[in-house]
Amino acid sequence: MKPNPYEVIPAVLTDTIDETPLIRTLRLEPERPVAFRTGQFIELSLPGVGEAPFTPSSSHFITNRMDVTVMKAGFLTEAVHKAKPGDTVGLRGPYGTAYPLEEFEGRDLLLLGGGCGLAPLRSLFLTLLDEIDRYKSVTFFAGAKTPRDCVYKTAFLEWKKHPKVRIVRAVDAVPPGESWDEEVCLVTKLLDKLDTDPKLTPAIVCGPPVMMKFGTLDLLQRGFPEDRIYLSMEKKMYCGIGQCRHCVMGPYYVCKHGPVFTYAQIKNEEGIWD
Amino acid sequence: MLVHAEGLMSFLTQSLEKGAGPYRSVYVPVHPPDGGPAGTFLSRFTGSEAPVLDGYRPVDPVKMLLYGVREKVAPFAGESPPGLLAGVKACDLKGLELLDKALINEEFADPAYGSWRDKTTVLSFDCTDAAPTCHCTLVGGKPYAESGYDANAARMGSHYYMNAATEKGAALLELIRKHVRADTSHDRVPAAVEARRAEMTDKVRLQNEVFARSGEYARLRSAAPDAWKEQSAECVGCGACTNICPTCYCLILNDESETGPFAKVRSYDSCQWQGYARVASGASPRPRVHERFRNRYLCKFVLMAEQFGSLGCTGCGRCTEACPGGIEFRDVVRRLTEGPVPGRGAAGSR
Repeated sequence: MKPNPYEVIPAVLTDTIDETPLIRTLRLEPERPVAFRTGQFIELSLPGVGEAPFTPSSSHFITNRMDVTVMKAGFLTEAVHKAKPGDTVGLRGPYGTAYPLEEFEGRDLLLLGGGCGLAPLRSLFLTLLDEIDRYKSVTFFAGAKTPRDCVYKTAFLEWKKHPKVRIVRAVDAVPPGESWDEEVCLVTKLLDKLDTDPKLTPAIVCGPPVMMKFGTLDLLQRGFPEDRIYLSMEKKMYCGIGQCRHCVMGPYYVCKHGPVFTYAQIKNEEGIWD
Repeated sequence: MLVHAEGLMSFLTQSLEKGAGPYRSVYVPVHPPDGGPAGTFLSRFTGSEAPVLDGYRPVDPVKMLLYGVREKVAPFAGESPPGLLAGVKACDLKGLELLDKALINEEFADPAYGSWRDKTTVLSFDCTDAAPTCHCTLVGGKPYAESGYDANAARMGSHYYMNAATEKGAALLELIRKHVRADTSHDRVPAAVEARRAEMTDKVRLQNEVFARSGEYARLRSAAPDAWKEQSAECVGCGACTNICPTCYCLILNDESETGPFAKVRSYDSCQWQGYARVASGASPRPRVHERFRNRYLCKFVLMAEQFGSLGCTGCGRCTEACPGGIEFRDVVRRLTEGPVPGRGAAGSR
């Protein structure tokens, strides 16, 4: 008898951290460890509401708890934001492909992300930090609309202190009443500041579709190889296991053959940025 | 073996009713009660309606039974009792073969479908007639079972020629022999059956001559958006075509627990509906009707073919029958496969 793919692992919500007015990180303690590899996703269930896919935002070396960063964007995520510490939620997974850490070994790395797309990148970044000796350097370009919309506000300040890490943050605009002493531009503009060799630097990109699209085009123009640009694709998914068909993208199921794809893999598929 | 038609009918309607064999439920096509729509519907046999075993496929596909419109999949209540599904036609067997590939794989099995499939014996019947929309021959099929059945019955005058393809099928034939007189001297398809099959195949082929197509389905990928707009002009996006398709299995998963453990319920979804692929942010890869319309054709003829090695269209013609806009599926395929064959990715990303 094969395992029932729709059974969930109960997890207790132990803490919530408000990142921005719309984005909240949930800290979960699953009933049994959910061993994921960074880049993979889980299905988060709310009893009586439904479930949706999220990429954990914590290091994959931590298995007894998991952070999930969720932006309030629809019916389910609204309910997620209402959940209180002590509530039980459900997890299925992990599903899909992970970031290929072995391909990153010994290299300068570029993480390029924006908005809530920084969630998977936080997981990757923390996982990299846990074994930082394996990598040459990590450049992390992070964007947000406004200072208020920046996630992981205090964590970024800590991460910046690490000698092998270079972090540059940008906001699109600084509205009156908010203050910001870092860059003000689109996050892709930060690529001007890159000081590693594009041909030898794997780039990991995650963010809103429009940022992913123009970020990727920009990277290509700067000479990043197509098969060294790693994209975390977002599509609607219910099952996570290649059965519900919602995430079909050409010959791929994003849930099964992704969510991490190289640009070379998917460049000819239709509607990848939609 | 050869069985008299009346004998087989009495086995199905009487012997099984009295508890013969392991089958706790028997499903057959029946005519709806007086005043209902034309055609037959797959129903659990209750003893009041006469099964319609010959003719052509029922209005609803077999998936409606084995892959319910709404089913609780976790926690899964348990095994289905053994059942017999009689009167299935070749197109629906093809549908089951595709669903098997989609819903039962090396890692996972849909619990409800997997259990149904394990416990159900499928007794198929050769078509002896064709609906106006039937077109199995256009997609490489035949109006009689070639594979995918446990046992098959082919009409031959007043008798049926029956054969088994699986252990479940062999057990059924053995049970039939216990209750009905059977001539077991026939172990090959009789010439009369071959002749009738050829005749039926010709009939289906003939009624589809006007819809003859190249079979170059890759052309669907490159057909111009305007051509899709034109073909989908009457489409209202209701999803009747996908709900009634024997190979559509797109699902949504809801959590319907009120108190206590998580309760996962899956229901049919339709790629023809606006919200199908829309993500929480509001982005959708196919916001317009003609894009969703195109998706169904690409899915059936290109994507499923790539994924499962067989077309997602069995030629049952139900989508045409169900369409409130009167869209003739065969005509759309014919027109849109006339264009040039594209290189892979010719449509590109927008």
